[in-house]
Amino acid sequence: MVSEMAEKAERSYTTSPEGSPTTKAPTAYSLLRKVFDKILGFVTSWRRNTTSRGRRIFHRDVEKDEFQYASTHCLSSYYSVFVVRLAIMVMLAILIGLLTILTWHFTRSYTKKSLDTLAYGLRYELLQRPILRMWNILNSTAEITTAQVKLSEYVIRKYSKPASQAEQVELYQVMRDVTWALFASRKALNAITVTYRNGFVQAFHRDHRSNNTFYIYSNLVNYSINANEPYDVNKLSSHQEWNDQSIHGNLSAIWYREPLDPLTGEKKGKASQIPPDDLINIAGFSQVPDGVASWHVAVSKYTDSPLLSAALPVRDASNESIVAVVGVTTALYSVGQLMRELVEVHRGHIYLTSQEGYLLATSTNAPLLRNSTTGPKLVMAVDSEDKIIQMGAQWLERVYGNKFPPRHIVHVEDAKLGHQQHYIDSFFLNLKRLPIVGVIIIPRRDIMGKVEERAFKTLVILISASVCILVIGCVCILILTNGVSKEMKLRAELISHLDARRRAEASNNYKSQFLANMSHELRTPMAAVIGLLDILISDDCLTNEQYATVTQIRKCSTALLRLLNNILDLSKVESGKLVLEDTEFDLRRELEGLIDMFSVQRINHNVEAVLDLCDDMPKLVRGDSARVVQIFANLISNSIKFTTSGHIILRGWCENSSTFSQTTKFPVDQKKARCAIKTKLRHKGNHMKKASKKENKVILCFEVDDTGCGIDPSKWESVFESFEQADPSTTRLHGGTGLGLCIVRTLVHKMGGEIKVVKKNGPGTLMRLYLLLSKTVDGVEQHCQIDLVSHNVVVLLALYGSMGRAIMSQWLRKIGLPSLGVSEWNELTQVLRELFYRRKHNNGFEAQCSLNEPLKAEVLDIQDVRDPVFVIVVDIGLLDLSTDIWKEQLNFLDKFSGKATFAWMLNHDTPNAIKMELRRKGHVLMVNKPLYKTKMIQILETVIKEQQKNSLNAVRATTKDDDMHEYLEIDSTQFENASSEDSDMAEMGNSNALNAFLHGEKQKERGMVTYQTFKESLVELTDVHLEENNLSREDVCKMKPNLPDTTEETATLMNNKQAPFSTVSESESSKHWDQHSESSCPKGKANSYSSKAVTEQKALEGLRILLAEDTPVLQRVATIMLEKMGAKVMAVGDGLQAVDALNCLLSAKEDKRESLVQDGNKGSQTEIQDSLPFDLILMDCQMPKMDGYEATKAIRQSEAGTGLHIPIVALTAHAMSSDETKCLEVGMDAYLTKPIDYKLMVSTILSLTKQAT
Amino acid sequence: MDGVIQLQRQLVDYTASLFHEGFLDEQFNQLQQLQDENNPDFVVEVVSLFFEDSERLLNELAKALEQQCVDFKRIDAHVHQLKGSSSSIGAQRVQKACIAFRNYCDEQNTEGCLKCLQQVKHEYSLVKTKLETLFKLQRRVLAAGGSIPKPI
Repeated sequence: MVSEMAEKAERSYTTSPEGSPTTKAPTAYSLLRKVFDKILGFVTSWRRNTTSRGRRIFHRDVEKDEFQYASTHCLSSYYSVFVVRLAIMVMLAILIGLLTILTWHFTRSYTKKSLDTLAYGLRYELLQRPILRMWNILNSTAEITTAQVKLSEYVIRKYSKPASQAEQVELYQVMRDVTWALFASRKALNAITVTYRNGFVQAFHRDHRSNNTFYIYSNLVNYSINANEPYDVNKLSSHQEWNDQSIHGNLSAIWYREPLDPLTGEKKGKASQIPPDDLINIAGFSQVPDGVASWHVAVSKYTDSPLLSAALPVRDASNESIVAVVGVTTALYSVGQLMRELVEVHRGHIYLTSQEGYLLATSTNAPLLRNSTTGPKLVMAVDSEDKIIQMGAQWLERVYGNKFPPRHIVHVEDAKLGHQQHYIDSFFLNLKRLPIVGVIIIPRRDIMGKVEERAFKTLVILISASVCILVIGCVCILILTNGVSKEMKLRAELISHLDARRRAEASNNYKSQFLANMSHELRTPMAAVIGLLDILISDDCLTNEQYATVTQIRKCSTALLRLLNNILDLSKVESGKLVLEDTEFDLRRELEGLIDMFSVQRINHNVEAVLDLCDDMPKLVRGDSARVVQIFANLISNSIKFTTSGHIILRGWCENSSTFSQTTKFPVDQKKARCAIKTKLRHKGNHMKKASKKENKVILCFEVDDTGCGIDPSKWESVFESFEQADPSTTRLHGGTGLGLCIVRTLVHKMGGEIKVVKKNGPGTLMRLYLLLSKTVDGVEQHCQIDLVSHNVVVLLALYGSMGRAIMSQWLRKIGLPSLGVSEWNELTQVLRELFYRRKHNNGFEAQCSLNEPLKAEVLDIQDVRDPVFVIVVDIGLLDLSTDIWKEQLNFLDKFSGKATFAWMLNHDTPNAIKMELRRKGHVLMVNKPLYKTKMIQILETVIKEQQKNSLNAVRATTKDDDMHEYLEIDSTQFENASSEDSDMAEMGNSNALNAFLHGEKQKERGMVTYQTFKESLVELTDVHLEENNLSREDVCKMKPNLPDTTEETATLMNNKQAPFSTVSESESSKHWDQHSESSCPKGKANSYSSKAVTEQKALEGLRILLAEDTPVLQRVATIMLEKMGAKVMAVGDGLQAVDALNCLLSAKEDKRESLVQDGNKGSQTEIQDSLPFDLILMDCQMPKMDGYEATKAIRQSEAGTGLHIPIVALTAHAMSSDETKCLEVGMDAYLTKPIDYKLMVSTILSLTKQAT
Repeated sequence: MDGVIQLQRQLVDYTASLFHEGFLDEQFNQLQQLQDENNPDFVVEVVSLFFEDSERLLNELAKALEQQCVDFKRIDAHVHQLKGSSSSIGAQRVQKACIAFRNYCDEQNTEGCLKCLQQVKHEYSLVKTKLETLFKLQRRVLAAGGSIPKPI
């Protein structure tokens, strides 16, 4: 990607400078576009590949359609990102290119222009100076010439018409002097010549090379003045002729040359004759044919530079004829020197040429003359030996040829001469007869060289810088947009994730919806099954076996229903919707029930289930009993699953009380464990303890200890995960989903506790957990009767399971009862013999011998007890049931029946025949295994009571025995409720009157099973108790004296009993409650009104109920139901009407009350009771116009401030707990599901109205 | 007297079959239990109330489902009512059909709703015939001088 982008950037860069000129732009643009298209195409195909790959990965587990949308979305976003990226890059490239070009252009063009101007000025100046010098030379030459002419004229006029030769000589002498003066005054002059008409020549010549000065003259002898004079005059008319003649004539003359002292002009040497060839350039008459000055360039063999000579005629006085010609020759040498000097400073070449092209002066040393056969000649510029001049001249000629621009002014800046570029400038100097052209050639490099180099460097730097910037920019853009595209990708992913989550939530919603339906659908048939079973149970014509079976079925159904509820609850736990109840319950009883239940399961194994709860555990705690039981049920069932032999112990103790005083009695490992837990708790925060103190919470610790296969230490954490099992083979062996422990942990955490697997000595698993539950106000209840000790009870535990026996005897010893433990029949017999025979005869030494030492010691201890009451708890397992020996064994035990009370621990499946036999033998105390403290206490209390009663009233005792009898037998099947009822029963035993009453009741309602009878009576008692509290029903007092003081306790127990277990058992028990409240209520009335005519049905007599229900059928049904029970019903069709009805009646009441107040004397009690128009409202949740929730809210709002509170019961078809929560949230007091369960409804209504009144 | 007994047995059998086939459930028994000398025709009254109500609701439902844009909320409310009333007389199968109906309603599935409406109608007419037959039998028993056996 990056490389490709770079490439693209490169290309765009290379194209963009091209594109900047306007003419090339369109083609460049199209090119650019093509390039883009190509890249785009490539990239998109590439992208498609990658995205499809990404999609594949994505699609591994999710539906395809789901992401199609997202991926196309992604793709389009990729495109857009790419296009944006491209656009930004192109723009950047163009910008940078433009900037570069502009910068470069401006800097360069301005410098160049100014430099050019400067260079031009320089060149002009340079050229101007030699020209000026030239001009000066010309001027001075002209001046000298003119001066000579004027002087000559003056002299000649003076000596005009020379008379004699002497005069003539004198004239020439004067002329010579004058000429010398002029010659000497000008050092630059090369020569001055005076040519007279007669052919006489006088000339001064200065040889600059040898620095000699010469005087040159022609032979004067050959000429006579006479001869000349007429000639002059005569030939005035024809100058031409004269001139030619004179020159030719002079050829024959003899020339002399005299070296002179250059300063004084004195003759230095002898005059020597020289040939006329050596003559210097003598201006002749021919040069001044028209009598005006003339210029020409001449050459001389004495100098190597051209000479400039001027000639002027000298006229006579009359100004008619020319008498002489004056010629002045000046070397142009100095011009050349000046040029050289100039060029020395500024490199380059300067030269001057005549118009024809002859070099006059150069700045080089190249010779200007060329020797030819006819003497030295001027060199043409094009033939110059100097290369540059030659090339420059050639270039000019080539370019311009003969057609020079006007005035010959040329300025060329980039003439290429040789390898270098040069400036060539030429100027034209228009002298009369001698036009001069000046040319200056300067290598361009000299002036612009540095500048151009700089400019080039600058350009290079600029270009490279811009390229760098472009590249960096592109990279930056790439990175930036990459980030953006990544973000977009992430966003797309996020969107898809959100989508998936939404779907998941939706499906979760469906799940809960499904569960809502399921809960309803599952409960209904189960309720039907249970109901039918109830009907069947109440049938008279069942045999005992059938009855037992049906009861079993009912129990199982209840369990199944509980299970169903649990499943529903689990889903709630899973979804985190679980809300823990906060109700009061008897933890001990719950756990006992649990152990009882599991003892049935366990019976098939050779496993002992032991419950070991400390006495300091609070009896009543607040919390969610169902969840607590669930926790232990899961743990214990788990243990049972993996334990094939040994024991399962459920230990429990309270953490913050003085537990540690007892720890000494526990095994060492356990003690350690406790310490560990304690430290851990301390760890966990003193704040927790503080909190628990403040909020009246207790930390309850539990241990579930089994001797099963154990859990590998590495799995100790993971077993609490969902669907996790310690060993994969467990599923095969034991089944299960692996959810149990997970749920346990969730629940424990929810209750503010912790659970973990703890290291254990020996095989098996030790799970330890603690729960944070709040104590009830009344705190720890001392249910253990103190009088046990005072009765000198001695307990002999003949139990099979060693663990249970050990724990039990420990406990007994703790509360101060001596106990003995034996584990088999032989031991039992020996101990019995020891205890009784020896006590009697004091000589059973033999028997004693067979006992082992510790037991013997114990036996001896017991023997010290005075007047003991023996209680012997015998496991039925000790009897040999496989053969008939057990009868023998029973007979043996019979011998002791008078001295001790036997309590039999029955197995769940103990045959009826044995039970019958036992009963026949008078062993009425039978309890089911396992044995735990409550049962023990119950047994002991029964025994003590019996002892007392035996001494007091035999008749009553028998009645009670009968009761007990019945009860205990039923206990064997009703294990579920047994634990709850045992203690009740025990307390019940106190009340003779009650027993009598129960008896009567039983006679009356023969169809009812005994346990139900018990329950009923209990309920009745409760009811009575409630009524007792209810001051308005004072007539109950009649019954009151008959009741013992324990009634209140019973009532509370009864209440407690209804709290535990799941809703169904609750509802079930409450159903019983209903029945009994139904039955008892009228009885109360019967007492109060002394009229037995009232039917039992009228449970709701006198209640005014407002029914808000839109479905006519339901309305009708409910109305009839309620009316049948004696309630006054007002039915309305929706919530609005309900609110209206209530308000209207309320206001009416208000008025009435006001009037009553005005009356003043009326009792206030009735008034208060009447102040509510209805005792209760039954409110359907879903109704038109205003639904139940709204209506309830409205009602509660109107109630606000009045202190009134009408109980509102919701009626809903939804059976989920969330609906219940919603109902309770809006201010309803209770909750009934449709179809209306008659009994449940009554019980709910009654509880609420009772509460209200 | 034999005829009466036979009629009574027939009635019992028929009622049992209704329960057995799932047309009725426990709720109907409760209903019958509510009937006494104060409300001698309670069951018939309630059931005819149910018939009226159900017919009205079914019409409403049919109408609502014919609409261009189906108002599922309203339909849901109607079905809920129908479910409530059918469950309170113990017309189990109607109630079940209603539950399915409501599920489709939640899904906003018009097709499913129409199908369910047909099913509900079918169940309703079935239960109606059955109940009418039952009442006819009861009347005949009463006319023959027998008493209607109370449900257990």
